[in-house]
Amino acid sequence: MHTVEQHPYPGRWKLFLIWMNIGLQSFGGGSSTTLLIQRTFIENYHWLTFEEYTYYWNLCQFPPGINLIALTILIGKKLGGITGTISALLGLLLPSALVTCLLAAVFKQVQQLNAVQAIIKGVIPATAGISLVTTLNFARTPFQLASKEGLSSICLNLVLIAFCTLAIIWLQAPAFLMIPCIAVLGIACFTRPLFRRKAESSQHD
Amino acid sequence: MINPIAYFLIFLKGSLFSSGGLSNLPSIHQDLIGRKWAVEAQFGESLAIGQISPGPNGLWVISLGYLSYGFLGAFLALIAITLPPFFVLLVSSAYTRIEHQHWVPGLMRGISLAVIGISITVFWTIISGSGTDWRAWLLCLGAFLIALTKKVSVPLILVLAGIAGYLIYR
Repeated sequence: MHTVEQHPYPGRWKLFLIWMNIGLQSFGGGSSTTLLIQRTFIENYHWLTFEEYTYYWNLCQFPPGINLIALTILIGKKLGGITGTISALLGLLLPSALVTCLLAAVFKQVQQLNAVQAIIKGVIPATAGISLVTTLNFARTPFQLASKEGLSSICLNLVLIAFCTLAIIWLQAPAFLMIPCIAVLGIACFTRPLFRRKAESSQHD
Repeated sequence: MINPIAYFLIFLKGSLFSSGGLSNLPSIHQDLIGRKWAVEAQFGESLAIGQISPGPNGLWVISLGYLSYGFLGAFLALIAITLPPFFVLLVSSAYTRIEHQHWVPGLMRGISLAVIGISITVFWTIISGSGTDWRAWLLCLGAFLIALTKKVSVPLILVLAGIAGYLIYR
């Protein structure tokens, strides 16, 4: 992979400031953060090509936890080695975490007030509604793929999702076991030649 | 009494076996509620604070840490969510070898389905918390529909919901 270096790689301090900007500007979750990262590193500074970015993003789907932190680690490492990784992480997380902590502290002081209770009672169901949109976004890619493979694949996807959800809610299955469990079921269900051949033939259409 | 090491390990376990910022919720919820180290309401409140504050959504655990265990809790939660993504360094050195294995796409599809399932669980945990009445369901539906249009930013939706809550429940 080759890069067009239009700007020299930043120092530790500059990396910290850049990531701090990204962290503090990203309201409303992951999608705004990824957009800011693309703008900053690809479009403004040309420190990354779009191909590299996409490759990194794919890698970030494997490790556990927050994908954005993994992406920060990879970009930080490319631009500044170990110290780059650390200053990128500190920049992304520390200021945002402090703000989050302060908000929680303020909330704890005022949470007994009736007005605050009422506001929170309105905000919490809205948070649930917003989380459903996130769920739909997660579901888009798997179901686009499944719809190319036919009805049986769609049903299989639904069954696996339902199994995961109900096992945790009804059977109180330990949630931390469900990802490895469904991942293995995924290998068993989707490595079948039947689905792959259909998917390939429909891609050639 | 909260044991800081066990507390940290609960958050670390939740994040180690999760994908994305919210999917550690069911695991942490089971463990903290089981030990009575947090109360039900703190989960909904933390998620709301996490949505309002800047940074990745996954930072909601920091407010959970603060509400259930003070500044130490927030700090432990921050460390616990920062460590697991470091696996990406292992992945990046191994990826070229496993990338073309025929079982890898199946694995990825399984993981993404589990993430969908877990995020439905997250929804259920929030909405089935204390004091959910028909007006709460209506607020939930409204926020869902507005967020779906992508025309209104998430913090603004939450501000509107807060105003609605103030008018309804005051």
